[in-house]
Amino acid sequence: MNQPHIFHEIDNAMRSLKDAVILMAGLTRQNLERAIQALLTRDIDLARMVIGDDSDVDDLEVRIDQIGMDILIRFHPVASDLRLVITSMKMAHNLERISDHAVNIAKRAKKICKSNETVEAAIIEPLYSMAENLLRDALLSYTDTNTELGESLKPSDRALDAAHKQVISLLSGRIETSGSRTENLLHLIFIARSLERIGDLAVNIGEDAVFLGEARNIRHDHKKDKAPDAEQP
Amino acid sequence: MGTAIQIQNVNFAYGAKQVLHDVTLDIPDRQVTAFIGPSGCGKSTLIRCINRINDRIPDARVTSGSIHIHGIDIHRPDLNLQELRRRVGMVFQKYNPFAKSIYDNVVYGLRIAGVTKRSELDEAAEKALTNAALWNEVKDRLRSSATGLSGGQQQRLCIARVIATEPDIVLMDEPCAALDPLATLKIEELITELKKKFTIVIVTHNMSQATRCSDRTAFMYLGKLIEYGDTLQIFENPKNPQTEAYITGAFG
Repeated sequence: MNQPHIFHEIDNAMRSLKDAVILMAGLTRQNLERAIQALLTRDIDLARMVIGDDSDVDDLEVRIDQIGMDILIRFHPVASDLRLVITSMKMAHNLERISDHAVNIAKRAKKICKSNETVEAAIIEPLYSMAENLLRDALLSYTDTNTELGESLKPSDRALDAAHKQVISLLSGRIETSGSRTENLLHLIFIARSLERIGDLAVNIGEDAVFLGEARNIRHDHKKDKAPDAEQP
Repeated sequence: MGTAIQIQNVNFAYGAKQVLHDVTLDIPDRQVTAFIGPSGCGKSTLIRCINRINDRIPDARVTSGSIHIHGIDIHRPDLNLQELRRRVGMVFQKYNPFAKSIYDNVVYGLRIAGVTKRSELDEAAEKALTNAALWNEVKDRLRSSATGLSGGQQQRLCIARVIATEPDIVLMDEPCAALDPLATLKIEELITELKKKFTIVIVTHNMSQATRCSDRTAFMYLGKLIEYGDTLQIFENPKNPQTEAYITGAFG
């Protein structure tokens, strides 16, 4: 997109597609941040806001799909243009799922807020920081077409997975002695699970950014690395 | 958005052979309307009815129906044909500059219309060439022969020649058929600019061209208008199975 097209309408259409994705990414991050804030500060109104604002993200997903389809129909994009359209539509899908996780977190935060304070809620914050950093880097890798950054997310995701396991183990251990707090601890386990999934979705976005920049498909590479060697004669 | 051209129940025949059947559509002002369809479907015949250029062909005539341009019936007996063709310019498939200088090509229509003042002609030539996105490429060689330009430049010169007379409507009959892909894109970019000032009607076999630069698309088959609507609707979700078959290449 650095070199303008002879047919300027293509530039305008691509710009509006990318702008819509960036807007959706901003709203998604905001929803996630607010959902966690609602949990940590026991703010039911904030949780309600997240649940209400999710429809804006849903609308943007539909809009991005429509812009992408219009571009495919009108301009028959090829090469980097085609990759931008495909990547943007996939981004929108991943962002919509991330925002859905934010809504799940907000709904559980609302339930937790209605009961006595659960001190374990603070355990979630480091997980959130890791997931948020992953999401931020993933989005940067798309907006700046930074393939190096896009490809670098897997170790951070593995760290998030490990932290998630620890949190689950800790919360599960406390459930045995929690009595009336069991339900809230289960909510926290599901919130931790959402954050772990957000990390996975951020990695997907990073992989798509690599495809966008270099037309290189790095999905499932880790499985290929682990594949058993071919049978020796 | 008003209507520039109103075509109502038009039937047209070359002698005994009827080639347009009851065609009705409104073409909006200052938009690009594309006509698509297989060869011989009548799309070129239809746009040639709009400036009555078909009148030059013996026995060719609109047998019934009417065409109005901004409310004026173009078949009324007192109509000035020269004025009609000034208001409805036409660009053809094969670029056809006259064997004259670039300058003389652009001001040709104005001279025919009686403009003789040099400053007026100079101003009109610069404006038309600028609007045709050609000025920067030719401003230093206006006295050179037009035939020395590249194909794409010659076609843009023909467009400049048409718009120099400030028509309301520009008809384009496969304007890029003889051009390479990049020259084609330049013409398409020009078309999207020109629609700010003129109503553009384009006949094209190139469906990508229709999707890229038209606002409305009409699909014709065997002399009939099969479907007409917003370009994105026609190519995303055509209502008529014949349109679907044609645009997806499952025709015949």
